[in-house]
Amino acid sequence: MLFFRSEEHARRWRERTSPPHWTILSLDQIARLAHAWYARKLAPDWRRHTSDEGEALFAELGLDHEFWRLH
Amino acid sequence: MDDIGPDRMVRGAIARSITERGLIPSIAGVAAALGVSNDVADAAFRKLRDAHVFIPQPESSEIYAYNPFCVGPTDFRVSIPGREWWAICGWDALGVPSALGVTGTVHARCGDCGDPITIEVGSNGAARSVPDGVVFQTCVPARDGWKDIRFT
Repeated sequence: MLFFRSEEHARRWRERTSPPHWTILSLDQIARLAHAWYARKLAPDWRRHTSDEGEALFAELGLDHEFWRLH
Repeated sequence: MDDIGPDRMVRGAIARSITERGLIPSIAGVAAALGVSNDVADAAFRKLRDAHVFIPQPESSEIYAYNPFCVGPTDFRVSIPGREWWAICGWDALGVPSALGVTGTVHARCGDCGDPITIEVGSNGAARSVPDGVVFQTCVPARDGWKDIRFT
């Protein structure tokens, strides 16, 4: 789960490491996901997302392909 | 401690330690803060660990990462007013300011070339990078995230 200067840098890294799976998010997408995932982590009534809730959150951010399935 | 359950009490103590002291607490620290025995606190930590509320240290139920916060140091440093935190990955690093409700700056490096990457994060999660055009790449499908959490 790394940052890269650009998609070109991410592509070069994949050429060296040949990961079996991968996906790229824009900075806006991962920032929105991080905020939604963690904004309430320290709240007294926090609880882990269910798989359904997690998939719904991913879908809101356009992350609705197989890579983001939780079931 | 039985009123609202030991797990919730322990989570509250962990959260207070993070927000008020800037520290991820030990089991003994939480036991002292709550006035309970180490055994009681340890049992609650084990339950939270098994429920994937946090990532434990190896062979332990002490906390390595109470995501997004990590005992650190790591390759993902997050500066907030008056404090620095570490995170285990880019996703978590961006979540540190949100979890604390503050603005912050993520300091990381490009996974390819190692050049510095800086990301300003608002308390609302909005982010802006230097250089412009930074992307995030993950190689672990979402459902596999906890199969090998240290690799993830």
